Amino acid sequence: MAEYFPILLFAAIAVAIAIAMSAIPWLVNRPRYGKAKMSAYESGFEAFDTARRTFDVRFYLVAILFIVFDLEVAFLFPWAMVIKEISWFGFWSMMAFLAVLTIGFIYEWKKGALEWE
Amino acid sequence: MIPDLLFLAFSAGILLGATLVIAARNPMVGVMGMILTFLNAAGLFILFGAEFLGLLTIMVYVGAIAVMFLFVLMTIDIDYIKLKEGFAPYLPAGLLVVALLAAELILAAAHSPAQLTPVVVVGQGPQPQNVVALGQVLFTTYALPFQIAGFILLTAMVGAIVLTHRPRNDVKRQNVTAQVLRKREDAMVLTRPKTGAGATAKHWNPKSVAKKVKA
Repeated sequence: MAEYFPILLFAAIAVAIAIAMSAIPWLVNRPRYGKAKMSAYESGFEAFDTARRTFDVRFYLVAILFIVFDLEVAFLFPWAMVIKEISWFGFWSMMAFLAVLTIGFIYEWKKGALEWE
Repeated sequence: MIPDLLFLAFSAGILLGATLVIAARNPMVGVMGMILTFLNAAGLFILFGAEFLGLLTIMVYVGAIAVMFLFVLMTIDIDYIKLKEGFAPYLPAGLLVVALLAAELILAAAHSPAQLTPVVVVGQGPQPQNVVALGQVLFTTYALPFQIAGFILLTAMVGAIVLTHRPRNDVKRQNVTAQVLRKREDAMVLTRPKTGAGATAKHWNPKSVAKKVKA
């Protein structure tokens, strides 16, 4: 796994820089919150509402549909690597898998789940 | 030596992330802890030579499942401070479960034949790529579980649509087919009013309006 060492080094440097960039300002000049600092600036609007509003549930639908096709692609990677070695059975095995998911795809298309509205 | 240190670092990362998941006051921070756990698990996978599984963990778990958890958190309307209020009554039951699990783990570790061994990185010397090794059995020897996985994914897809898809009829949308198929007669009529009589609405009877009147 030596060929992964540059990636590990890259990740370690990225983590170190990220920690340093958030730690140094905190150490050098700690935030001192006050009433004036937390309020709206000069003639700015007071907040109407909380920013943590709930999202429409359709985002969840998009996420689920994405996961399904993400996994489908994940299965395609090893299949593509060995397609010449696994005989016609392996080929049609994947075709059957894709057909099942295509049924689902047609269903969601016809249901209008892909329409954003 | 270095693999041992890496193993310790990734394990510590997993524990840190898992602690964040259960202890963070803000559930968003909890999801970030979960992503940290996934990333460190991917690191362990790659350390043990399962590079495809490690990269898949990043792609599927961090790229899709963590995002779905974030969407779920943003979709539900829960007062998180109230959620944490009932912590104390459940504490004895929770501690009991933790104690049982810990006892099982300790018993299993005490009776396991294998002693603590240094971390061995597989992947030394030439060997088939594990994505190839996986593909050679997944689509032939394990074709049935593979097909069952396909049906489970289909179930997830259909279930998500049935549960969350609410077609909205109050939104006006463009129907391209209807626009292209529209004929002149559907929308307009030519009349020849007499001079001075003016054009009145009594001539206005195009097909589209006539259909609606009938219905």
